[in-house]
Amino acid sequence: MSRRETIWWLVAAAGILLYTLFPVAWIVSLSFKSSADIANGQFLPTVFAAENYATIFTGDAAELFLPALRNSFGICLIATAISCVLAMFAAYAIARLDFPGKKLILSTALAVAIFPVISIVTPLFNLWRQVGLYDTWPGLILPYLSLTLPISIWTLSAFFREIPWEMEEAAQVDGATTWQAFTKVIVPLAAPGVFTTAIIAFFLAWNDFVYGISLTSTGASRPVPAALGLFSGASQFESPNGPIAAAAVIVTIPVVVLVLIFQRRIVAGLTNGAVKG
Amino acid sequence: MAAPTLTRDPPPTPAPGRGLSDRTRAERRLGWLLAGPAFAVMLLVTAYPILQAVYDSLFDFRLTDPTNREFVGLSNYGVILSDPIWWTSIGVTLLITVVTVAVELVLGFALALVMIKMLRAIRPVIRAAILIPYAVITVVSAFSWQYAFSLDSGFVNSWFGWLPGIAADTDWFGGTASSLFVVCLTEIWKTTPFISLLLLAGLAQVPEVLQEAAKVDGATWWQRMWKVTIPNMKAAIMVALLFRSLDAFRIFDTIFVMTGGANSTESVAFLAYRQTIERLEIGLGSAVSVLLFLSVTLISVLFIKGFKIDLSQTRGDR
Amino acid sequence: MSQHRRRRGAVVAAVVALLATLVGCGGAEPGPPVLTWYINPDDGGQAEIAKRCTEAAAGQYRIAVSQLPREASDQRQQLIRRLAANDSSIDIMSLDPPYVPEFAQAGFLAPVPQDVAARASEGVIRSAVEGATWQGRLVAVPFWANTQLLWYRKSVAAAAGLDMNRPVTWEQLIQAARSQNSQVAVQGRRAESLTVWINALIESAGGSIVTDPSVGNPEAIKLGLTEEQATRAAEVIRNLAAANVGGPALSTAGEDENVAAFEDGAAGFMVNWPFVWTRAKSGVEDRTLDQSVPQDYGAALYPEVVAGTPSAPPLGGIDLGVGAFSRNPALSYQAIECITSAENEAYYFVENGNPAARSAVFDDPRVIEAFPMAATIRDSLEQAAPRPQTAYYSEVSASLQRIYHPPGAVDPATAGQRAAELIRAVLAKKELL
Repeated sequence: MSRRETIWWLVAAAGILLYTLFPVAWIVSLSFKSSADIANGQFLPTVFAAENYATIFTGDAAELFLPALRNSFGICLIATAISCVLAMFAAYAIARLDFPGKKLILSTALAVAIFPVISIVTPLFNLWRQVGLYDTWPGLILPYLSLTLPISIWTLSAFFREIPWEMEEAAQVDGATTWQAFTKVIVPLAAPGVFTTAIIAFFLAWNDFVYGISLTSTGASRPVPAALGLFSGASQFESPNGPIAAAAVIVTIPVVVLVLIFQRRIVAGLTNGAVKG
Repeated sequence: MAAPTLTRDPPPTPAPGRGLSDRTRAERRLGWLLAGPAFAVMLLVTAYPILQAVYDSLFDFRLTDPTNREFVGLSNYGVILSDPIWWTSIGVTLLITVVTVAVELVLGFALALVMIKMLRAIRPVIRAAILIPYAVITVVSAFSWQYAFSLDSGFVNSWFGWLPGIAADTDWFGGTASSLFVVCLTEIWKTTPFISLLLLAGLAQVPEVLQEAAKVDGATWWQRMWKVTIPNMKAAIMVALLFRSLDAFRIFDTIFVMTGGANSTESVAFLAYRQTIERLEIGLGSAVSVLLFLSVTLISVLFIKGFKIDLSQTRGDR
Repeated sequence: MSQHRRRRGAVVAAVVALLATLVGCGGAEPGPPVLTWYINPDDGGQAEIAKRCTEAAAGQYRIAVSQLPREASDQRQQLIRRLAANDSSIDIMSLDPPYVPEFAQAGFLAPVPQDVAARASEGVIRSAVEGATWQGRLVAVPFWANTQLLWYRKSVAAAAGLDMNRPVTWEQLIQAARSQNSQVAVQGRRAESLTVWINALIESAGGSIVTDPSVGNPEAIKLGLTEEQATRAAEVIRNLAAANVGGPALSTAGEDENVAAFEDGAAGFMVNWPFVWTRAKSGVEDRTLDQSVPQDYGAALYPEVVAGTPSAPPLGGIDLGVGAFSRNPALSYQAIECITSAENEAYYFVENGNPAARSAVFDDPRVIEAFPMAATIRDSLEQAAPRPQTAYYSEVSASLQRIYHPPGAVDPATAGQRAAELIRAVLAKKELL
């Protein structure tokens, strides 16, 4: 490759980086602006100030933010775990077994994936308040499954189809028990797919906003995206731009870390589940 | 409740044929045993609520006034469909959908083309970077872009003041067109990576042999693009289009954060939210929700029938 | 099949059990009953008062605070939805006065005991009591009473030759701002604050948005929007926008954006709540605002629409209600009496800048020291007018916002008529909102 071409590639790469990272960099920069600096009309703060982080971790907004952060992590992790387990069974059946209704399950998953969340939130709210699930963890975990399950089933069935299941039988022929064959041969083969699925499902749950604002009302279960709208300034009339930016940065950190570590897997998972040749 | 019944009796299993061996029958049973719970949960959290919404939509029912709940038949639908606000919000939603998906398709395709040829050394960096907008919470991206454009905390006006039409005091959220511009920009930023990844996967499936053959025949880059590359990845393009269109049509978070529906920027999902959650009119709001659901279904049917997308094939149900 | 069913049942049971243990933490704890007070966001004052009253209660009760969203309309939604779920965890609620009738009408408020009602309206500013009254009965206890003042930069007013010792009219303000190339900051954002402005204008012109709420039959609501006073009010909005003195953000500015414009000098005049003063003082303390800025601040009564007719400034603040499903209504009212004591109201006024509902507090030397304009605030409260009292306030307010936003597009000849039609259609459930 010629030197000129290399330079062009680097320019293209720089362009892509700028495009993808710019808004993130902006909110990070904003989060380090002091309240007097917010309106400076510039991209960068005049002085880097940590006051917004102090506000959300130890200050006025801590009582709002910390429970929300705990809820977000707890609820999203549980929803991810449940949907992974359920999807694992379903995907195994779809990939390995021959039974009528396979297509029905896959189309149902597809239909659920394109479902407008707002359409079901009111009936859920009414049902939840009757059965006492309103503003509780399970009250969010269950609806989150509607976000995470479909993609989990699709992605996992795609992964499971790639697994050379014959190896299981081969191992059994070689004298391993069924359990040994499963744990020694199949689990290592399936684990990456399950893991990738879990990450993608977690992203979806983490991103939720509509369920979060509609089915919760206190720190008992309110997740971070819903809590962002509740921050306030020194009085109810003042906008809390700085603390919101800081909280936004904090909730972005986990997803960025996941992306940086597992980028190859995530891409494989996203494209594997969606387009299959 | 419909869902638990479904768990117990998986519906479409036809009565076991006489010719089936025990093994086949056992496999069928195991299949439903394993896939059943996931299936049931999906129905429980979507089918049941939507049926309930259909039922609620037939009533005049305000949350604070449950005693005066009254059956009104389809009149809620009549109210909605004869209301200009409904049609405005349909228009706004369609506009956002068409604009964002079109721009994303072009931009995503360009990104995919760059990525597939990208130097090995920087590919992981680009791949990670491109995943970031996808992974960032929609609400966070909406806040970020809103702050960038807003008059009191933004920098856009001072950076781009040299462009005609932008001044230090341009209020982006003060008008319909400019508000929608920022909303679309935010959506495009956030979801282009997803489209580009789907297209990248499609691009990778175009047989290299065909490209080479076209090259030998003296085809230009454009000709190869139109005659070889795009026709061979049609399935990937259609899937990307379908998923993004449905996603864009359901837009809510961005509008909620950025404009709150002011200046006629209400999407259909936002309209449903306003009726049920703000106005507490469960009946009327449910009717809007049901109409939104029908619109989404209609779009998918149009796509699948119109463009003959075989999802089972592209999605690998072999 | 039965074997499978059992196994499946076991899985479901396990999941349910798992979920149950996850939420089940907490449980009963010994000690005095805990009263949950749902508070609107502030600068920590309500939490501090809760602490003080808990101490004063000497083990009779403990008050725990739980925070509501920032926008008044969101606070209402959250509370209503919990109350519709018969939530017994709501003991005390900080309510924005215009929503009080809706809560009362829906039966979401525990009745105020007669003796408490008597004490809660004695020595309390009239408009605040009015705002907490529905169908002739006090249904909530006024805690603090807010009102908007006309804030002005003394330098700008002097340069424009305005005598601020006498009431000024909107027309004068617009002229003055124009002559000085300055702005009149008003809340034109499509939010509750826009309704506050519209209502104050109509009331100042001598009219009312709702003349009869028609309790039993909301569709028969009587509106004063097509009266001449409402037209006068709309003319103020139109004139202000047409004269280009509303600032570039007229249609998106709320209280906060406006106070920023007032601080940096872009706006020489502004209608806003007294938090403006607290904010300026803390800005000086934090060295983010030069002390010459607050020295240039002046505060006067809300501008008049009709010269010579005293204005009717907006009424805000917070009333305290007791949830109808609370397990401890009596204790809750006891706690409310502690919260609304003159001492605590004075503390809240001084520290958080939220004016007291009790008149006597305005004579407290600490208050006068912190708020040199305390007397003006009290005068303003005395002549303030509540927003329309109807159980459907939310619909009325949202309809008004739809028609009167953006302010630049208001046509005085038709706005009132359109708004009235929309409100009627919405209340009859004939139109979307």
